[in-house]
Amino acid sequence: MEFKDYYQALGVAKSASADEIKKAYRKLARKYHPDVSKEADAQERMRDVNEAYAVLSDAEKRAAYDTLGQRHAAGSEFRPPPGWSDGYAFSTDDTSGEDFSEFFANLFGRGAHASRTGRGHRAEMPPMRGEDQHAAITIDLADSYRGGERAITLRAPRLDDAGRVVADERTLRLQIPKGVREGQQIRLAGQGPPGFNGGPAGDLYLEIRFSPDTRYRVEGRDVTQSVPVAPWEAMLGARIEVATPAGTLEVGIPAGSNNGTRLRLKGKGLPGEPAGDLYLDLELVLPPPSDKARELFETMSREIAFDPRRSMRA
Amino acid sequence: MDRDETMIGVLLEERALSIDELARACHCEPRWIVDHIESGVLECTVVATGERRFTSAAMVRARRLLSIERTFEADAELAALAVDLIEEVEALRRQLSAARLGKR
Repeated sequence: MEFKDYYQALGVAKSASADEIKKAYRKLARKYHPDVSKEADAQERMRDVNEAYAVLSDAEKRAAYDTLGQRHAAGSEFRPPPGWSDGYAFSTDDTSGEDFSEFFANLFGRGAHASRTGRGHRAEMPPMRGEDQHAAITIDLADSYRGGERAITLRAPRLDDAGRVVADERTLRLQIPKGVREGQQIRLAGQGPPGFNGGPAGDLYLEIRFSPDTRYRVEGRDVTQSVPVAPWEAMLGARIEVATPAGTLEVGIPAGSNNGTRLRLKGKGLPGEPAGDLYLDLELVLPPPSDKARELFETMSREIAFDPRRSMRA
Repeated sequence: MDRDETMIGVLLEERALSIDELARACHCEPRWIVDHIESGVLECTVVATGERRFTSAAMVRARRLLSIERTFEADAELAALAVDLIEEVEALRRQLSAARLGKR
């Protein structure tokens, strides 16, 4: 693994005071806060910043890290030497729940404690439940309509035989619940990171996100989409086929419909009890210009007495 | 774990979390959750047995509150104000996106 420069991550000098470190951390935390940041890599940067602060804000961890830092440059290949933290009394339990790097986990995470005290002492640690893990999965709206399976890849820390923390990648096949909505959480009991010393694994929570699709708008279980129609279909009425997330449906356009007319297809929104509705907003589209089209519109212009701006006149 | 196995998760709307489960999911003490319910910044439903239960929205809100309180050592009410604003921005973005769709 690579040696991480926590001072660089926070943008402070190695001589920075505790107050300067706190100020730098808060400034970056605001910049990369996942709820407000527009930076593409905000989540990753926030993790780095949190990790750096977890070490540099703790006097014992910082001192231990500084000792290592004297012999390693950022990005250089690194393995913690045996007994590297002897004499430092930092806790490994106050960093729970953070999705930190392999570098951090090996030095300061829970598993590092087992590593530091030697394998023979691991049995003395009480069984500890694995931390619950959070992740997000992005699905298409159609996946929610149909349900179905989705493979997801997760990274989870694990202690290897030498007591070191290694990051395991694993793939889960997940059943997407039919009718699941954006923002809902799926809980997979016991599928989080493993426990320590025989403790049970944590749970895995997956937040559902819908992949962006400008064709649809989803509110609760109701779905709205626009449907282009020809002027004569709107005027005369028609039965048309519409591709919707619920499949291809035959829809009756009432005669005399207008641009923006909304049709409601009851129960064709997201599945559920009750199912949502599917709304179709009609969008009148003119045919491409042609001699024939021009001729017919000229006829309409002559034959139909219609002033669409009458209501605007004083 | 058998990699060929398909996992079937439970939606929190179908089986809402207890206080202890929410505390584990948020990496906080149950007392923190009780305090925030009592101060009105976190909502829950109360089932027939009198137990408090939490669904997806409550969990997301609790994690946001915790993140802001811890990061900025913020007062609970101030963190709640920030989370209220974040939720408001999210709602407005959804409306904006809906309005854009309507204009297409």
